[in-house]
Amino acid sequence: MNKIKWMGVVLALLVSSTCVTAAEFEVVSEGLYNPCGVAVQPETGHVFVADSGNLKVVRIVDGKPQDVIVDFGTDVYGKGPKYQVGPLGIAFLDTNTLVVGGGGSPDGEEKLYAFTVPAVGEPAIKASEANSAMNLAPGDEIKGEGNFYALAVTNDAVYVTCNGDDTKGWVSKATRDGNKLASFERYLATKEAVEVDAPVGITVSPDGHLVVGQMGEITVPEDGLVTFYRPNDGKMLANFPIGLSDITGLAYSPGGQLYAIDFCWNDTTKGGLFQLIRDENDAAVAKPQKVSELDKPTAMAFDAEGNLYVTVVGSGEGEDTSAAGKLLKITGLK
Amino acid sequence: MFNRGFAVLAVVLLAVGTLSAEEILDLKVPAGLKPLKIPADNPLTEAKVELGKQLYFDPRLSGNNEVSCASCHDPKHGWADSKDRSVGVPGERLGRHSPTIINAGYQRFQFWDGRAGSLEEQALGPIQSPAEMNMNLDTLTKKLNAIPGYRNQFKQVFGTEVTAENIGKAIASFERTVLSGNAAYDRYKAGDEAALSEGALRGRKLFFGKANCSACHAGSNFTDNGFHNIGVGIDLAEPDVGRQSISKLSGDRGSFKTPTLRDVDRTAPYMHDGSMATLEDVIEHYSKGGIDNPQLDEEIFKLDLTDQEKKDLVLFLKEGLASQNYPMVEVPTLPE
Repeated sequence: MNKIKWMGVVLALLVSSTCVTAAEFEVVSEGLYNPCGVAVQPETGHVFVADSGNLKVVRIVDGKPQDVIVDFGTDVYGKGPKYQVGPLGIAFLDTNTLVVGGGGSPDGEEKLYAFTVPAVGEPAIKASEANSAMNLAPGDEIKGEGNFYALAVTNDAVYVTCNGDDTKGWVSKATRDGNKLASFERYLATKEAVEVDAPVGITVSPDGHLVVGQMGEITVPEDGLVTFYRPNDGKMLANFPIGLSDITGLAYSPGGQLYAIDFCWNDTTKGGLFQLIRDENDAAVAKPQKVSELDKPTAMAFDAEGNLYVTVVGSGEGEDTSAAGKLLKITGLK
Repeated sequence: MFNRGFAVLAVVLLAVGTLSAEEILDLKVPAGLKPLKIPADNPLTEAKVELGKQLYFDPRLSGNNEVSCASCHDPKHGWADSKDRSVGVPGERLGRHSPTIINAGYQRFQFWDGRAGSLEEQALGPIQSPAEMNMNLDTLTKKLNAIPGYRNQFKQVFGTEVTAENIGKAIASFERTVLSGNAAYDRYKAGDEAALSEGALRGRKLFFGKANCSACHAGSNFTDNGFHNIGVGIDLAEPDVGRQSISKLSGDRGSFKTPTLRDVDRTAPYMHDGSMATLEDVIEHYSKGGIDNPQLDEEIFKLDLTDQEKKDLVLFLKEGLASQNYPMVEVPTLPE
């Protein structure tokens, strides 16, 4: 299939309508500490959150976080403001198997975990009780990887955005064997492909393409990219300078619309939820249409009914965000 | 009928003639560089670039008629200054080293602390600065309007008399044409395997690998356009806080804009304070892991480069990033 046809495939994945959706918001849970991951459990519809600063993964039941996996390692992200973090991206391989990207260890020691989640009512397990845990250690002229920020699951792999080696901007790939991880390797050198740093948000399109959001430099606004790759061979299909600043999450609604959240580090008052649409004057151009402001959004996931769950760091007293985090539910999106 | 027809033809010819003078300049960028974005409200034309060049080299834009943009951003010195700190109209050294304007059109921000969001905005800053060119803009526009050569050019290019805004636009337009590319690195990347010497090839590998340079000096212009604290000057009693003075974020303390490395061999001395005389000094700074401080960028760490690796890296910078067609510009005839 030639390049133009691939572009057509890719562009079909962006909204053909320029209408911005009308959305409604609900705070599902609050008092979280720098939540950085969210996933909806298949079959049950339960929402899980990486309550990162509290070093645990929780299940939200009646608006309250219940501990599921605890005792992750801790680290600090940023040099001012600073954010305490632990577990980052989370995603379900199946109803009972949760993959968690670590954020609390040094690069090279950071782990990607697979857990069998305890059922509702069962006691929490510890991070050390993972079914499997893998790292990307340094090698000859290869730097160790860390900050496994977000995860995207396909039929046969888990793709992980990594923020260790800033000369490469790796998206790594893990394969599974039952409820365990079988392998974990560096896969896409996104910075070499697009010359912009920091792959963070990642998702899989309805057609099975990997869609990666490059955050770029946190000190530079509007340098974010959205890039489409073919997962079986890593070939880049299309790259859009989307005009967002710091993409922290990407997700497709069940209706096939692509959404992004922007942390907008340089000026967090401009952060928010965006629908990514095709420019009405140039079909080869994609642009963001703001749906809503959000206070430092970090992760997003749709459920099967089209409800969007978003975690936000929120604002506390000064730079203290230890209880300011929220899980939001957004309905009415296309 | 004949007279009316002739009048119509005359109007058409006049319109065509006018359009030709305003024809947009199709700027051909050197190999290795991406197309340059030109702001919609300041399109490039030949006449505007020429006007901007004259303004750039004209010391009459300063309060004492002795300092021009080129005084501190000199084409003979990589469009930067060979002094660590330039000297302005009052005769005192400035606070920071004058950065190169090479490829400045690709930069997201201007000045070391990024306080200007465009070349147009930046151009007017030094003119007004009491420490630099020390010229009030109202005084300047009156001065230039009194020079027929400038007044006529501004009329032709902008359709107005000399204004401060259009001074900035003209200078910015000229600066957008100061481009460096088509270096040995670009030719090697395009397939010419003989373009880089063996030492430069080893240096290239280090640049994109062990030496971690491309963590920040990335992309076709060798800059991520971001701000980083690499520790330079942070150990002074009153360090220059750089970007923090603009962003007000504590994490930006001591951070400065990543400069381009195109033609870097010509732009010594280096760093925001001009404190490093040679590229060897620069490599040494990075090899030892910068100067530790609470905001030191996570990409700065001890590299433990060998002496040979340091030489190879310097060779790559000198040989690999030197433009085959360095943008040298001679001082133009200035209008009277």
